Amino acid sequence: MSDYICHDFKTPRNDTSKRLPDTFKAIPILFFLSLVGSAYFMTMDWMAYKQAQKDKLEAEARKTELDDAAKKLQDEKASLDSETTKAETLAKWMEGARNVQPISVAISRAMPPEVRLSDLTIERSEQVPANLALSLRINGGSASEVGLIETGLSRLQYRSVSPQQSKEGEVIEYRSTLVRQEQ
Amino acid sequence: MLLDEIKSVLTFAAFKPEPDDSSVAWAKRYEGRKSLLINVSRSQTSWRSINKKGRLDESGVMEGEFADIAPQRAEEWRQMAEGGWCSVSVNNRFIISLENNMMRGDNVTDLMRTNPRAVLGPKFDRGKRYAMCHHPDTTASMLLACEESMVKTTEDVLKNIGLRTGRVCCGLFALMEHAVTEIYIKQRATSPGNAALVAACEGSIAVLVQQDGQWKELRCRSGMGPDAVETSLQIITPLVQKLPQGSPVHFISDGQDLKFRSEIMAHLEKIGATDMTQDDLLWRIIGFN
Repeated sequence: MSDYICHDFKTPRNDTSKRLPDTFKAIPILFFLSLVGSAYFMTMDWMAYKQAQKDKLEAEARKTELDDAAKKLQDEKASLDSETTKAETLAKWMEGARNVQPISVAISRAMPPEVRLSDLTIERSEQVPANLALSLRINGGSASEVGLIETGLSRLQYRSVSPQQSKEGEVIEYRSTLVRQEQ
Repeated sequence: MLLDEIKSVLTFAAFKPEPDDSSVAWAKRYEGRKSLLINVSRSQTSWRSINKKGRLDESGVMEGEFADIAPQRAEEWRQMAEGGWCSVSVNNRFIISLENNMMRGDNVTDLMRTNPRAVLGPKFDRGKRYAMCHHPDTTASMLLACEESMVKTTEDVLKNIGLRTGRVCCGLFALMEHAVTEIYIKQRATSPGNAALVAACEGSIAVLVQQDGQWKELRCRSGMGPDAVETSLQIITPLVQKLPQGSPVHFISDGQDLKFRSEIMAHLEKIGATDMTQDDLLWRIIGFN
């Protein structure tokens, strides 16, 4: 068809509005683009918010788990510290009791298997630290065991000074002061 | 009101032309909408609808005065036109004349509708509506003058039955504009210096003669009726005889009245006339352009 526009002589209207220029189409286009953009960002934010809430719950659960584990470890550490303290005390005692250990061993070896040593105390004299106060109780023994003890001690170069021996039934109580003999 | 304006911007309606914006082609104004085309002659009215796809659809014709026909067909026509907008072609009570040195310019078409006195000067007649078609290379122009009372009556009849007038034009003049565009503008380089253009529409006829590249004579007669072949030949023959032997003669008609077309072409073929008519040409011109 022809590209001319057909003539028109109708009665003109007074209330016609002029068509907006095409460049103004950018306004509704931008409006709809901003709507789409807002919807996109709102959706993304909402999804991120939900993910953050989920992550927070997971983190809180993990924190509780780790707190429990830390508490357990602290209890374990406290227990180990206590054991360490005890071990250190024992080690100190062992170290401090090193010079009387041979005496204890000699006394123990002097006891026959049927005799029971119920009490053994070795104390260093406060006035003369080289002297040791020995006190022991023997169940089911006799004077011969006391002799064996003295023999064993004498091998360690200790001499019993003012030994006291008493017997009450099956129990023999023996006290003496051990003096180190110089070679 | 403000809300309506915002709505029209957001729906892009504010960027579309008004349904009666005569500076935009009909097909563009009613893109994706149904519209109605009405052709009003002296003794009959024909109509054709354009569907949403922009194709010619239902049609009809009825004998009688337009003022009598319109109320009877009101319901049918309202269903064919979305928003009630229609394009009307009137084919009687008009005259086409040849003028020289008429004002030309981009705003002349608008000015012709709003203030024709400014364009026509002393040629202006208060009781007429005007349209113009210019020769592309010379100062000659075809001037259509239609009875204003008839245009107003037609508009009032349509308004009373709930239809709105998107365009009022003259079918014969529209056919001549179409032919001038095809012959003198599109084929400008090869357009003949001596030629005749015969246009016929719903019982009106016009003959335009060009000699030596100038529009020399134009004769027009409206409202003769479709059977006036002899009268038409009496108008055509003396004008065509003024042309040198072998000058091209173009014939164009509305494409509806096959009987009139074949009878007149039987005579015109003797002088080697070319028939530019196509099926539904009038509807295509007033419904698409």
